[in-house]
Amino acid sequence: MSEPRTSEPRVLDQPWRMWASVAVVGILLFGVLLGILIIPIVQGRSAGIDAYTAICRALGILPGSPARPQPVSAAPPTPVSQVVWTPQVLQILARGDTARGHAKVQEVCVACHGEQGMSPSPDFPNLNGQSGAAIYKQLHDYRTGSRTNPLMTGIAQALDDPTIPDVAAYYAGQPKRNPSPASLGELPAAIVQLVELGDPNRNIPPCAACHRPGSGGPIETPILSEQVREYLAQQLRMYASGERRNDVYARMRVIAAKLTPAEIDGLSRYYSAGFR
Amino acid sequence: MRNVERLCLAHFWVAFAAFLVAALLGTWQMWVRSPLGANIGTPGQYFLSVTAHGVSMAYVLTTFFIMGFGYFVAVTALARPLPGKAWAWGAWWVGVIGVVMAVVTILTGQASVLYTFYPPLTGSPWFYVGLVLVVVASWVWCVLMLVAMTAWKRENPGRPVPLAMFATVANAVLWLWTTVGLAVELLFQVIPAAFGLVQTVDVGLARTLFSWTLHSIVYFWLIPAYTAFYTMVPRAAGGRLYSDTMGRLTFVLLLLYSLPVGLHHLLMDPEHGNGTKFLQVLLTGFVTVPSWLTIFTVWASLEIAGRLRGGRGLFGWIAALPWERPMVLATGFAFIMLGFGGFGGIINMAYGMNAMVHNTAWVTAHFHLIFGGSAVIMYFAIAYQIWPRLTGREYASLAPLRLQLSLWFIGMMVMTLPWHWLGLQGQWRRVANFNYADPLIAGWGPWVIVSLAGGLTLLASALLFVGNLLALHRSAAIAVARPLYALAVDPPQRVPAALNGFGLWNVLVLVLMLIAYGWPLAQFAIEPSPTAIVHRVQ
Repeated sequence: MSEPRTSEPRVLDQPWRMWASVAVVGILLFGVLLGILIIPIVQGRSAGIDAYTAICRALGILPGSPARPQPVSAAPPTPVSQVVWTPQVLQILARGDTARGHAKVQEVCVACHGEQGMSPSPDFPNLNGQSGAAIYKQLHDYRTGSRTNPLMTGIAQALDDPTIPDVAAYYAGQPKRNPSPASLGELPAAIVQLVELGDPNRNIPPCAACHRPGSGGPIETPILSEQVREYLAQQLRMYASGERRNDVYARMRVIAAKLTPAEIDGLSRYYSAGFR
Repeated sequence: MRNVERLCLAHFWVAFAAFLVAALLGTWQMWVRSPLGANIGTPGQYFLSVTAHGVSMAYVLTTFFIMGFGYFVAVTALARPLPGKAWAWGAWWVGVIGVVMAVVTILTGQASVLYTFYPPLTGSPWFYVGLVLVVVASWVWCVLMLVAMTAWKRENPGRPVPLAMFATVANAVLWLWTTVGLAVELLFQVIPAAFGLVQTVDVGLARTLFSWTLHSIVYFWLIPAYTAFYTMVPRAAGGRLYSDTMGRLTFVLLLLYSLPVGLHHLLMDPEHGNGTKFLQVLLTGFVTVPSWLTIFTVWASLEIAGRLRGGRGLFGWIAALPWERPMVLATGFAFIMLGFGGFGGIINMAYGMNAMVHNTAWVTAHFHLIFGGSAVIMYFAIAYQIWPRLTGREYASLAPLRLQLSLWFIGMMVMTLPWHWLGLQGQWRRVANFNYADPLIAGWGPWVIVSLAGGLTLLASALLFVGNLLALHRSAAIAVARPLYALAVDPPQRVPAALNGFGLWNVLVLVLMLIAYGWPLAQFAIEPSPTAIVHRVQ
């Protein structure tokens, strides 16, 4: 049997090209018609949404679902901190001038936090090697009243805006002392476990999930390594009681409220010894 | 030819070395998350391990295996030398350098970002650069596959491209389309962020670009298995392929419908409207069609083989099949796992049902069953089938091969069926540990232990697999080169150009992608969303 001429590739191919295109494009248009026009309009009608709004919602141009009215919330937002991390704020932080910061530190901060950021008193935190973003947030929170302290509130309010990143940059650039890992052996295993694994029984996440040498948690997370022991314990107690409340989403208030006094003491010792 | 065999073996051994390491890590992960190993290891170690496991299994095993298999098919199915052998070796080196970069950054804890690319979390830039190098190596492979097919067509005008090569080139074309989304995300968003060149990243855009790659990449991994179903299985079973056209149609449909569907991975995401999600879910429905075609065609081919071997009656042909042959046995296992995994997948793609299993162990179970199960067991079978060709040696006995495949099947079922069940109970994924003291979670414990038993079985099977291949390298017997690829019942003399190349299908993929992804991507340019601060793992 001789091969019929119609089996030439070109002739063979024509119906393929046509019908494949019709099928694929047809299914596509059917989907578009159904998903963007018909379903939203029908769903919107029963939810009291006009056709135009429903279509815009189906496309994502307007927020919400075409099938449900958008809930309206009357509660005013009350953020615990006014600091917003925008690219502009990060740029301001990155442009902090350590020389100007040094001058300001010698003028204002030196008495309590030391020129190199080493606090002379157990009541005040060390600031050497602290994250610039953490210092920036705390100073701003003092200015806006999100965090209060008899000394710091007034001092922070007296600073002008451009000075804050300078001070933050200066202290962030001061070196940490050498950690003293020799004392790790004295720490109870339960504390090390709390730092590394948390306590799932009590819904306590590991401290190390956020507090790490680099970033772990949100950008404003402070570095705890080599922090003053008494200061750390005091802050944890203030979070636990709700006296301090500038932690976003109440993360630290929730965690600190679950810690026992012995754990607060142990964790403060852990971090003051320089462990990360 | 020796050189091509060395090239293939070099690819396969990189793939299987990564596989063995990943199997060890996977078992360790299951152990520390089970009640038996609770509180062993830190979350940091767990996520480091998951990253290494995922990168090894999903990127190294797959990419290197597929490249090696592609070179093998190009030489054996087309019966002509591989063009650009130097390029192929160059690509292998680039890929290996990329793998080393990724491994070093993972092991030093600088890249514990799992193996997905979801900013604002970013790891070391060298981790991403390493993975880009692996992708670049695979692009060289894609070009070589296209060049090989084009050269063959020029030498054989009007003749149909052998199905095995048609499938391989379909995969190469699919991979070129697939990697566009990931490449754009990595090169323009993630790598600049990881290097610190930018401080913020548009998370919605990144997730959308990753979704472009995220579904079709699975079909890139699966197509070698389908290639074996159509071309090697009927031959191994002693029969013929029921329909060559059905095979071509399957690979074309996989190319068309695995791409414009990735948004079903973002059904719970807020950055896209319901309408665009609906469209992609509808198209996702069509990606099941090539699987149905395959089940029908391969089943029919096996029935031909069973009846040729004297099988009678409605089901008698099944018993008559040569199940003692690894390729046939693996196919039986793969079909069972494809069945369970496929139905699970249909649940994932449905908006309402997905909401219930979203981010639970169900999802982990689904992709382990489909990829780790169906695809990887066929990788084993393919390796077993072609290793005698590559080494010039013959297995002393097929029994260890059958044992290994059986252990893999049993292990995968025992591991993933409890995961599905746990997912339905709400067990979340991507966490380092569970608190079994919680009464709600305590009930999960026994099922987690059962799945750990599955994991241990899989580890035993993985060790045996590598042992079987190593044993063959030392075996003395010389193999008789047997034909690899099945003839069709009705071998095609001429096929329409549409089923002999990818020009038409590329145009249709473009149309589908423009409509399915055009608006979802354009909206980020029209109305830029608030960006997130880059979060770097250090």
